[in-house]
Amino acid sequence: MSVPQTVGVRPARKRRAFSVARWLRTFGTLIGFLIIVAIFWQQRPTTFMTVTNWLNITQQVSILGVVAFTMTVVMVVGDFDLSVGTMASLVGIIAGTLFQNEQPVAVAVVAGLLAGALGGLINGFLVSYVGISAFVTTLGTMTIFGGLALYISGGTTIFGRVIPEAFGNFGREGLVLGSITIPNLTLLALAVLVLTWFILEQTVFGRRLYAIGGNREASRLAGVRVRFLRLLAFVVSGLGAAAAGLMLASRLASANPKQGDGLMLNAIAAVFLGMTMSEEGEPHVLGTLVGVLILGVLANGLTQLNIDSYIQQILTGGIIILAVTLSSLSRRGQ
Amino acid sequence: MNSLSAVSSGPVYTTMTTAVDPSPGTVLLAVRHASKSYNGVPALTDASLELRAGEVHALMGENGAGKSTLIKLLAGVLAPDRIEVEIQGRPATLHSPQAAYGHGLRFIHQELNIVPQLSVAENVFLGQRYPAWFGTLVRWRTLNRRARDVLAMLGVHHIDPSERMARLSPGDQMLVSIARAFAGDDSDNGSRALVYVMDEPTAALTGHEVDLLFEVINGLKARGSAVLYVSHRMEEIFRISDRITVMRDGRVVGTRHAADTHPGELIRLMTGRTLQQVYPPRQTPVGERMRLTVRNLRSHAVRADAFDLREGEIVGVAGLNGSGRTELLRALVGADRRLSGEILLDGRRVSLTPAMAWRNGVAFVPEERRSQGLVLSRSVADNITLPGLAWLSRGGMLIDRGLERRTSRSLGDTVQLKMIGPDQTVRELSGGNQQKAVFARALTRTTRVLLLLDEPTRGVDVGAKVDLYRLIRELSGQGAAILMVSSDLPELIGMTDRILIMRQGVLVDEVPTAGLTEESLLSLCYGETAHERSTDGGR
Ligand SMILES: Nc1ncnc2c1ncn2[C@@H]1O[C@H](COP(=O)(O)OP(=O)(O)OP(=O)(O)O)[C@@H](O)[C@H]1O
Ligand SMILES: [Mg+2]
Repeated sequence: MSVPQTVGVRPARKRRAFSVARWLRTFGTLIGFLIIVAIFWQQRPTTFMTVTNWLNITQQVSILGVVAFTMTVVMVVGDFDLSVGTMASLVGIIAGTLFQNEQPVAVAVVAGLLAGALGGLINGFLVSYVGISAFVTTLGTMTIFGGLALYISGGTTIFGRVIPEAFGNFGREGLVLGSITIPNLTLLALAVLVLTWFILEQTVFGRRLYAIGGNREASRLAGVRVRFLRLLAFVVSGLGAAAAGLMLASRLASANPKQGDGLMLNAIAAVFLGMTMSEEGEPHVLGTLVGVLILGVLANGLTQLNIDSYIQQILTGGIIILAVTLSSLSRRGQ
Repeated sequence: MNSLSAVSSGPVYTTMTTAVDPSPGTVLLAVRHASKSYNGVPALTDASLELRAGEVHALMGENGAGKSTLIKLLAGVLAPDRIEVEIQGRPATLHSPQAAYGHGLRFIHQELNIVPQLSVAENVFLGQRYPAWFGTLVRWRTLNRRARDVLAMLGVHHIDPSERMARLSPGDQMLVSIARAFAGDDSDNGSRALVYVMDEPTAALTGHEVDLLFEVINGLKARGSAVLYVSHRMEEIFRISDRITVMRDGRVVGTRHAADTHPGELIRLMTGRTLQQVYPPRQTPVGERMRLTVRNLRSHAVRADAFDLREGEIVGVAGLNGSGRTELLRALVGADRRLSGEILLDGRRVSLTPAMAWRNGVAFVPEERRSQGLVLSRSVADNITLPGLAWLSRGGMLIDRGLERRTSRSLGDTVQLKMIGPDQTVRELSGGNQQKAVFARALTRTTRVLLLLDEPTRGVDVGAKVDLYRLIRELSGQGAAILMVSSDLPELIGMTDRILIMRQGVLVDEVPTAGLTEESLLSLCYGETAHERSTDGGR
């Protein structure tokens, strides 16, 4: 074949130089986290930096973690899910009600997870196939799930002897390794973390989710089934919310129609904190983990310092804004 | 005249504007020692350039040579590492787009920068004061009328100024961003800007639109402005420019008078190599087997009653901007909803969606690389393998990074994609290199049935274009059928066996390519004789 003559240059390959700004942008939030840890350590040298306290922290954040990790999946696609908090409450109530009707733990767990998947399916269908914005859709379903929880429970808390002992104990016990006990909830959160990391980073499914989040139209034209995958992402977050609702009910050995509601805002905050740690500002689950830990350590440390819980709330909000601001400032001007 | 046109089927380079010595003009803009590196990688090194009154100064160079980087420094959208600018002999700083505007510099950037939520007219006059009652109430009718006038000057009549920008096709959006550069000018009192910088303005234009743009440019010249003009189309460069500056690897390697040089020399300066052939000839005859049969195809924007593609055949789609070329491909692949239509792929009836198309060996290269082709935030490897993940992974489920990187590295080399490595973010590539990444996708699969290519070489440099042409030929030699839209008429004539003609959304004609000239093809696009066209202005 008569191929045009090629003489001389090959496409150049150059090495990327190290840049402080780039490094800070990626690791700034992590450094901030370490500074917070250092401050608490210095303030409470005997109680803060202990294995027991850290295991305690991981247990405290485990439920938030499960919601935040699965929320990451939805946010990777460029959507978000406001309904996870009330979904968690609703699933707690569903499980509690089944217990009242003397159903075994397995039935309650399966029913709870199914409810979560169904809720996610509804969200996903409305957003992806009907074309309503994620904000409006999940705002609506958030209200509906919250209302359902109140309606089913009659507005009361389910607790006491109706909750099977095995279910209530699970959230308080753990894996005993010699002198330390790793809480079951921590292990569960860890499992969800590994699973979502694997899905997002190692599977074709995850890769496509990131592509959709980056450019929906280009992904569609490149053969990605955008609508179906967006729907699946909502199912994942619905399942995560359900799991969190069950974990919460187990830990408290009770089900209150509002107990999960607060998870949603913190989960979104954790994902945002994590996003500051990525070059392109994409959500990623290890970043979310750092976000969750920041929130958890703040709560734990500030409580140890006897700081009023209202003030804690103000500080936490301020730190979130600070982190996101710093990261967007360092991104500018290039 | 030169080595390039001697073997190509087509272009005759006219040098109508270079008969007089272009040097007497005073220097309007001088740039010296312009340097810029991204994350420590130099993109522009010590570049210097002078623009004189009344000249069209072409800027050429391979993809990634640094042309757009230099232009972004002038436009104040990118902070330089070092630069000295003199405007009409006085030092100036161009630290912001407003500063550049204030100094009388106007820009047509390579990539679309529009505000999709605003109307066409608002986009045309973006950044300028809108006409208003009492300085506050915008006079929309006046604004729309002025926008219509600016567009009409470019021969664009099919765009409604009150339409929302987001509803326009990428091609039309490009026309609007071109119009923006002329929006502040008042041809009646002769007021105009000092310097116009145009980064590949014609990449999306066809025939007559190019002529009209050149008329506008000649008008600017006559009134003493300077034009800095980037293009990869050699025949345009010789048609419009007085001087030509060539860049290579971020440096200026030389400036020539258009009259004293020829394409062969420019290509040598740009690439260090010589091109012997632009359009490789067909090696194997068109096969007998029918690859694609289309009947009664309709979408909201197009109608095509019947056409077929045979094994190994390359068929072009020609038409003006807005004639439905793109929409024909989009309806075929299922990117737009089909209202009706029967599509047979290898004799099998299919109802294609983009996902099904890729799975069935149909590759689609969309018109606009950034909004429709690429996920800019992801790596080159991710982008190249996106449609092919099903077979570039372990069992279609698990990511195989090694395979992805090997594949994208070798495909990148095949299309001469200049990158740091497969992990580089696509956003960081130059425009032409982004285009190559989109093209490379079409090569990921080993069994290929049909390729739908919409402006596949838009923004690709002369040298790499030749490689893409060779690749397209090879694919057709292996039996793939290829349907190709292009505004570059010599390319259509050089590559295709037949050409489908689109007019106002309808497939109106089908002609064998043999014997076609640019002129006759253009007449077919207009559906009139060339004479009529020159008297009534086009539509
Ligand atoms: N945002 C960015 N980050 C990192 N590198 C970049 C960025 N933008 C451009 N570059 C690099 O700078 C070099 C010059 O790019 P530039 O866009 O100026 O090329 P160009 O001459 O305009 O090419 P083309 O003909 O393809 O438009 C390229 O190697 C490109 O990869
Ligand atoms: Mg460029």
